[in-house]
Amino acid sequence: MRYNTVTVNKPLGLLQILVLTLLLAACSNNSDPEKATEVLDNSQEVLDYYASNPDFFRFKSTADLPADLKWQDGSELPEIGSEQAVKGGTEYARIADFPRTLRLVGPDSNGSFRGYLQDNVSLSLAHRHPNQFDFYPGLAQQWAVDIDHRTVYVKLNPAARWSDGEPIRTDDFLFMFFFYQSPYIVAPWYNNFYKTKYSHITRFDELTFAITVPEAKPDLDSRVLELTPVPQHFYRELGDDFVERYQWRFQPTSGAYIVKPGDIKKGSSIAFTRQQDWWAKDLKFWKNRFNVDKIHLAVVRDTAKYFETFKRGDIDRFGLDLAQYWYDKLADSDPDVASGYIHKTQFYNQRPRPTWGLWINSAKPLLDNRDIRIGINYASNWDLVIAKFFRGDYARLHSAREGYGGFSHPGVRARSFDIEKAQQHFSKAGFDQRGDDGILVNSSGQRLSFTLSSGYERYRDVFTILKEEALKAGLELKIEVLDSTAGFKKASEKQHEIHFVAFNVGLEMYPRFWDFYHSDNAYDQAFLADGSVNPLRTVKPQTNNLEVFADINMDQKIAAYRASSDAAEMTVLAHEMTEMHYDYASFVPAFYQPFYRVGHWRWLRYPEGFNYKYSSSSSHYNVYWIDQAMKKDTLKARKEGISFDPEVTIFDQFK
Amino acid sequence: MFSLNPQTLKKLRRFRAIKRGYYSFLLLSLLLLALSVAELWVNSRALIVNFEGQLYFPTYGAFHPGTDFGLDYSYETNYRALAEVFAQQEGDNWLLMPPVPYNAFESHSSGEYYQPEAPSLSQLHLLGTDTTSRDILARLVYGTRIALLFAIAFMLAVYLIGIAIGCAMGFFGGLFDLVFQRLIEIWSNIPFLYMVIIVFSVVPASFDTGARIGLLLGVMVLFSWTGMTYYMRTETYKEKSRDYVAAARIIGASNRRIIFKHILPNVVSTLVTFMPFTIVSAISAITALDFLGFGLPPPTPSLGELLKQGTANLRTAEWIVTSAFATLVMLLTLVTFIGEAVREAFDPKQFTVYK
Repeated sequence: MRYNTVTVNKPLGLLQILVLTLLLAACSNNSDPEKATEVLDNSQEVLDYYASNPDFFRFKSTADLPADLKWQDGSELPEIGSEQAVKGGTEYARIADFPRTLRLVGPDSNGSFRGYLQDNVSLSLAHRHPNQFDFYPGLAQQWAVDIDHRTVYVKLNPAARWSDGEPIRTDDFLFMFFFYQSPYIVAPWYNNFYKTKYSHITRFDELTFAITVPEAKPDLDSRVLELTPVPQHFYRELGDDFVERYQWRFQPTSGAYIVKPGDIKKGSSIAFTRQQDWWAKDLKFWKNRFNVDKIHLAVVRDTAKYFETFKRGDIDRFGLDLAQYWYDKLADSDPDVASGYIHKTQFYNQRPRPTWGLWINSAKPLLDNRDIRIGINYASNWDLVIAKFFRGDYARLHSAREGYGGFSHPGVRARSFDIEKAQQHFSKAGFDQRGDDGILVNSSGQRLSFTLSSGYERYRDVFTILKEEALKAGLELKIEVLDSTAGFKKASEKQHEIHFVAFNVGLEMYPRFWDFYHSDNAYDQAFLADGSVNPLRTVKPQTNNLEVFADINMDQKIAAYRASSDAAEMTVLAHEMTEMHYDYASFVPAFYQPFYRVGHWRWLRYPEGFNYKYSSSSSHYNVYWIDQAMKKDTLKARKEGISFDPEVTIFDQFK
Repeated sequence: MFSLNPQTLKKLRRFRAIKRGYYSFLLLSLLLLALSVAELWVNSRALIVNFEGQLYFPTYGAFHPGTDFGLDYSYETNYRALAEVFAQQEGDNWLLMPPVPYNAFESHSSGEYYQPEAPSLSQLHLLGTDTTSRDILARLVYGTRIALLFAIAFMLAVYLIGIAIGCAMGFFGGLFDLVFQRLIEIWSNIPFLYMVIIVFSVVPASFDTGARIGLLLGVMVLFSWTGMTYYMRTETYKEKSRDYVAAARIIGASNRRIIFKHILPNVVSTLVTFMPFTIVSAISAITALDFLGFGLPPPTPSLGELLKQGTANLRTAEWIVTSAFATLVMLLTLVTFIGEAVREAFDPKQFTVYK
């Protein structure tokens, strides 16, 4: 549920490797090998922590449970996955870089690999159904929501256990708060989130507990039900040296896949093995998923090489989202596709859309002028990029809050490319003359020129197209393509002028505004007590408010939005805020991809409808399986030149 | 600074006699000349426009908005479209386009989408187009020009520093020599490529293209001058102990005069033989950096960027990599041929055979 930049298949920047090597070299000299093996036991420390925070950690007995709770168990929801799925086989996949740690929190842990370790595989209390949005049970057997007291009551499934055999109990949830609130994990985001987003946890017995949140929200249940416990027995040695001590230890999981120590080949590959006796293997919502016995992930840094490896059959699946792959490099006429060895699938999904666009830093000189920002909106030819570069497959994003059903504004439309209007607004801001090179200048000779920075190397051609088109309106964009980490750092430090980036968004009921538009995230003390602009305010780095958007009216609306528990009222507020954001013009919406596309060898089988409405990728929800006999046949047929029926399928049931 | 003495003239004559090197030299000079006026033959701006009785020469100088030629837009005129407009009007207006009517930045696609297109005479994309439908020939021409200019500037800078310090080390010797040798040993152990990468990750800021190319040049020079000093140092040591230097000193010549008037002309042959190879390494380095994505900022045309595109599209658009690769091979071969010829011509032992 964290907001991260969209992870890309991009090799680690050389700089990072260098820095990492230097760091490793430095560490190896200083770290004391004795210290890491020293056995710690923090049981007492944990109990003391509970005792010293009696408001947060409350202990009661089952007799104290309210009698009138309405228990739910999600059992009315349909099953997930296919009855035809068979277990077994090895899936071969690729990672762009070897993970730098197996920890789930702390430095370097928030990479794309975390998805394999935790986010995509482990069980939380309950999960949103991929077609229905309602919750089906994970670790919880039953739960009950008490809106008036902002509390969710949970009864754990007694069968639930960790992959090392220990049962999953209420104490693991108490410990979860200890763990994430602890300074040992070196993760300020978690420290803050688990301290401020939850007000207390109440233990009734070893299987029953309740968690209370500070604000009653329409999606109150998700705040609690999407929590994943932390195994207390595993983190008994949690201490100051957590980062090093747990660097390569695999945390026991509630999910199906574990990492065996022998399967970690640092720098080259890592494998996940399915537990044959997984505790949830026969449960209704889990039995037809997580089918492959082993997931083998090999490091292949270069995309071109990744594609060739896939074509050789050494990797089972390759993402074809980019038009040049879908149409040219793996065309329908490709021998492997035409002979039916490789299937091509396009799947339309529905979920909140990543916010691709130009984020204009409205605290920079000239860009603080609304007319210039509007001019930039009109001078950005995204329609051409979509039509020519993405070959019309993608759609124009109209606001930064799309894919949230009624919460998304139905009327706001992104400004289309219009040279006339762009020039009108630029000339309103004083830029009404063209210089010798065709760039607009104002009366003091200043050129209308900004730096367009980004950490997305793969979109460099898009920036070139934008630059050439903007020239027509007299606007110069200087392109700066950075390493992905450096790019995001630049933007979060608010050093950018115009930055191209997207925030990935989880499957949530309604959009977030505070992170992006609240003045708290724009400036230190943006406004004085009387509501006027603080003349001494300084830009606040390291927040998601990349546009440095600060408006006292917006702040008030955000406060009302956060405090509201009424979905209808929140919808009205969301629409108003989206309009305000549109009027401010600090964001140029770019595009979204209403589908995902994949090429996969025919032995990789999928359920009838391929995947589910809210799925974000072809491997999401792990409903596929491998037909081992078919794999043998296919490889043999390929050798002998026998072909099958080609399969290029478009699933548009959720279009 | 140097007047050509008979010995140098003899060497130049010998250079001319080595046909392969000499013709390579002529070819490269011709290429440089053609590249320096590339705007005249590879450009989206027309060479001459005759509009309502008035002649325009848009190639160099300020841009002409479309309104200058009776069009309804205020941005740079699209001259190819203008030619069609003139043809339709059937009036007295005419214009002359360069043989390759594209610049290195514009996307020009004959189809619906931006995608690589094979070489085509009818579209005048003589080497085809790249992944965003930009003319490859235009990008090659301007990319090569930048690479060559860069290499020459690089060579001059490296030689200036290398000669100055190397000469001083050899001439003054002693503590100065000792200290500088150690410094150079340390300095030359810093891996240059990594330094470029690090520096470029740290100071990209909002520099414009020119400044960034300058910065890249500066960093590369900073880490490349050391190689030259060793040759200069030994050569100067050798020459310094010769009788003519002693004689000059007895006459009362100043250090400066001895270095510039007596020693430098005598060691110049060593220098000259290295020049072409320095150019080769500079071209390779900038191409390699571009290939890795740490060189010139996009959308600056460059050989490395084309090579990168080419290798990524090897199956679907082989013309990208072929033209970039052929250009690079041709360029480096020419310079190498010249280098070999120069080395041979300046070799005092005329009848030695290299084994």
